[in-house]
Amino acid sequence: MIKTTNLSKVYRTEEVETTALNEVDLEIKEGEFVSVMGPSGCGKSTLLNVLGMIDSPSGGDYHFMGEEVGRLSERKRSNVRKHNLGFVFQSFNLIDELTVYENVELPMLYTKVPAAERKQRVEELLEGMNIMHRRNHFPQQLSGGQQQRVAVARAIVNRPKLILADEPTGNLDSANGDEVMKILSQLNSEGTTILMVTHSQYCAEFGNRIIRMLDGQVVTENLVKQYL
Amino acid sequence: MFYNYLKITLRNLRKHPAYTFINIAGLAIGVACCMLIMLFVSYELSYDRWNTNAERIVRPVVEIKFGGAHMHLAVVGSTVGPDVQRDFPEVQANCRFRQYGSYLVKRDGDGQQNIREENIVTADSSFFEVFPVKLLEGDARKCLTQPNSMVLSKSRAEKYFGSTQLAMGSTLVLENEERRQVTGVFEDIPENTHFKIDFILAMNGNREVQEDSPLWATSNNFQTYLLLRPGTDKAAFESKFTAYSKKKVNETAQRIFGQDISKLEASGQYVHYTLQPISSIHLHSDRLVEFQANGSIQHVWIFSAIALFVLLIACINFMNLTTARSAHRSREIGVRKVLGSPRGALIRQFLGESLILSGIAVGLAVILAALAMPWFAELTSRPVHMPWSSPVFWLAIVTGIGLVGLLAGIYPAFFLSAFEPVKTLKGEQGNRAGGGRLRSALVVFQFSTAIALIIATGLVYKQLNFIQQKKLGFQKEQVLILEDAYALGDATQAFKNEVQKFPAVESATYSSYLPVPSSRSDQTYSKIREFREDQSVNMQNWRVDQDYLKTIGLELVAGRFFDPEKFASDSSAIVLNETAARLFGFADQPIGGKVYSHIGQADGQTRPENFNELTVIGVVKDFHFSSLRNNIGALSLHLGRSTGLLSIRYRATDTKQLIADLEEQWKKTAPGQPFRYSFMDESFAQTYATEQRIGKIAGIFGLLAILVSCLGLFGLATYTAERRTKEIGIRRVLGATTSGIVGLLSKDFLKLVFIALLVATPLAWYFMNNWLENFAYRTEIQWWVFALAGILAVVIAFLTVSFQSIKAALTNPVDSLRSE
Repeated sequence: MIKTTNLSKVYRTEEVETTALNEVDLEIKEGEFVSVMGPSGCGKSTLLNVLGMIDSPSGGDYHFMGEEVGRLSERKRSNVRKHNLGFVFQSFNLIDELTVYENVELPMLYTKVPAAERKQRVEELLEGMNIMHRRNHFPQQLSGGQQQRVAVARAIVNRPKLILADEPTGNLDSANGDEVMKILSQLNSEGTTILMVTHSQYCAEFGNRIIRMLDGQVVTENLVKQYL
Repeated sequence: MFYNYLKITLRNLRKHPAYTFINIAGLAIGVACCMLIMLFVSYELSYDRWNTNAERIVRPVVEIKFGGAHMHLAVVGSTVGPDVQRDFPEVQANCRFRQYGSYLVKRDGDGQQNIREENIVTADSSFFEVFPVKLLEGDARKCLTQPNSMVLSKSRAEKYFGSTQLAMGSTLVLENEERRQVTGVFEDIPENTHFKIDFILAMNGNREVQEDSPLWATSNNFQTYLLLRPGTDKAAFESKFTAYSKKKVNETAQRIFGQDISKLEASGQYVHYTLQPISSIHLHSDRLVEFQANGSIQHVWIFSAIALFVLLIACINFMNLTTARSAHRSREIGVRKVLGSPRGALIRQFLGESLILSGIAVGLAVILAALAMPWFAELTSRPVHMPWSSPVFWLAIVTGIGLVGLLAGIYPAFFLSAFEPVKTLKGEQGNRAGGGRLRSALVVFQFSTAIALIIATGLVYKQLNFIQQKKLGFQKEQVLILEDAYALGDATQAFKNEVQKFPAVESATYSSYLPVPSSRSDQTYSKIREFREDQSVNMQNWRVDQDYLKTIGLELVAGRFFDPEKFASDSSAIVLNETAARLFGFADQPIGGKVYSHIGQADGQTRPENFNELTVIGVVKDFHFSSLRNNIGALSLHLGRSTGLLSIRYRATDTKQLIADLEEQWKKTAPGQPFRYSFMDESFAQTYATEQRIGKIAGIFGLLAILVSCLGLFGLATYTAERRTKEIGIRRVLGATTSGIVGLLSKDFLKLVFIALLVATPLAWYFMNNWLENFAYRTEIQWWVFALAGILAVVIAFLTVSFQSIKAALTNPVDSLRSE
């Protein structure tokens, strides 16, 4: 599904040049659940952003589902994104002015899903996430765990092939974190590919492969024990 | 998707009420100003458009430079119209008007009350052919052919007779003596016309009309309109007319001066005829003897510019606030982009938001404008109203919403939609509140405009004050003017004698000619018994009585004034003003000098025996008998009956009592005649009504501009304080004082206001210098006007900004830091 060759990303300010990704070669197959770990500033999030096509690489190749996407225009990238990718962020990134229901519905507005189907899908997901009773609340009125469940619902409502999760449990207590991880595992078992950045070994082990990064490079790749 | 945008917009508006208020209030004020001014402008531009013949009607006018006078007249001689029609097949008809001012009008019969009527003209019977005015009663071809016939407007017919039918054949009495039979009733002429006419008297029988006179450039008393045949090439006709008029002027010069016009022209004197299209009269013609005070294209431009600037200022608020608070929206933008929203959709979303805001603001503006309309109509002295039933108005409203929405929203839409999703989600973008430099430039623009308007207001008022304070050469205070004094008939002198016995009255004088708006009459005088360009002076000739000098407060610099004891000799005496004495070249010895006036002859020839000799008995100090826009011209005073106005100089006293006494005396002497009075100083101020209006409008809109600018500044200050919360907290922890923080936050804004002052000063100076050129006598442009406007702007801006700065500075530092 994902194959990168010499993928690099360099940030430049007036005085400093920071290499966030240094010639990363990586392959992720369909149906995998890959966790990315590493110290702060090692380039995990950058990798996720580049693979998620919300940031463009400075060099190297990036093939997504057999197609070179690293040098696509923003318009084309956004098109690939909305049909194939779902995002979950550490800070949820829900839109404060929209209700739970509307937040989850939003991606389908961009993919032009008919209204009746939208309603059905949102309600199914909210039921599944056990937040249906909160459908008309605004994000600020929810607990962190609830917010993240809404964010996950939003990420999967368009049935993406790949979910990119950037420390999805980082802002949650352990109980809520566990719940989110279970949902992700469940999705993976249903066939969705997942790429997750995390600091927590515990969470990382929900995946079937762990990639460790340092200074913009992939240093080790391990299969998680239960898959060995 | 649209519904989604709408929801977001409305929820955002509700969530940030201060921001919403600033944006909507600012835009609503801006749009309301713009709407009012546009209604005024469109009214000004609508003049004479009702006239379906307008494209075919032209008015011959004349510019005369002769004998020290330089006049642009809206009137020509009585022969011009008929001559041109006879000699040019292009001219289908001509119609002449003669105005004699207002009339006392009453129904025929005993005990009828006289009413003063303003809109009375004498006109040719071709009136209804030339002007598409609908005749409701009577025969258009015949109703003005008979002497002593008249036609009325529908409203006047109803006023005097109850109905148009009853008016027909009835009789009205003018000035208590002239009886006219009503032979027609016409539909009221729309207000937006350069001639408002309610009564038309038949020209037939008018003694001033000299059908066969060969003289063109004399007795210029008739507003004349030519109706051209359909399809006439106007430019070609105009050039033929110019050549033709030159020939006619030359013939006139031959007869009067016995020499070719080219000789006169060699000495810089000339008579030029031109044609004015009727539709351009209201805004482009400001000549002597117009039907009424016309509008001015200059004012239309000034007002339009003010409207545009106030609107721009309001739109800039929107742009600045939206981009400044982009931090609040950056996450939404990031999320939408991550979810696959193309940039175009975001641009549409933000434009949609500004359109919604614009819609709300324009809606509010309509209400504001409707509320301000009566006051605005008074300010502009135009019957403007909200055109609720006009489809064009609603179309303009919809277009306005679109334009304002685009104008205000286009920059923020492009600015916000360009955010990069990675940065927004990391919280990097938006916090820096980009576009800072552009925002500063826009604030400078806002304040430059506002300051320039304030400077302009200051200078207009300074000029008005200059006029008020200027030594005019007469004393306008404590003079009461009784109007229609001739209605006293035989009792004129008796009435004056009675009034002079009042203890409060110092003196009284009859004359229709005053140095405030009143009658005017001019004539060419000569130092010899013939007209020669180097011997002749064109000057005002005013008929006055012997009490004129002391009542009006003129100063005699040589000789004496008229003396009742010497009535016989003084009837051929003349008093000049200094300018006239100088133009005649009387040097140090004006007294005893002779000047000659010509008595017109039917054949147009000037002969020495037709000159009347006048002896100069006195010279009065120059006084401003016309507006300070003009230099003082030559003027002569003659002893004669001119009983239109009785001016009364009174002692500082109970004015109400004086008026009551006068009215009582009036009713005793002239029962049934209207009692009307005015005060000379108020009448004087009337002369500058236009300037006062401009001053008021510039002032009001200047203040509104400042208000709207400050609304924007307040908003910006709020967001700056918000953005710098952490910095403020750290500074406070490190020991910064409240005043230090206030200074820190205010400095940046005040710097912008200073720059605005630097931009506004030369611009305002340039435009106001041009405006003051309109006045022959004008105030100086002094530096302190600019300083004052600058201080005002800085103080207002500082107060606006410091409210937020102080609030930020007083916040507990822990709170500031915690919020990060």
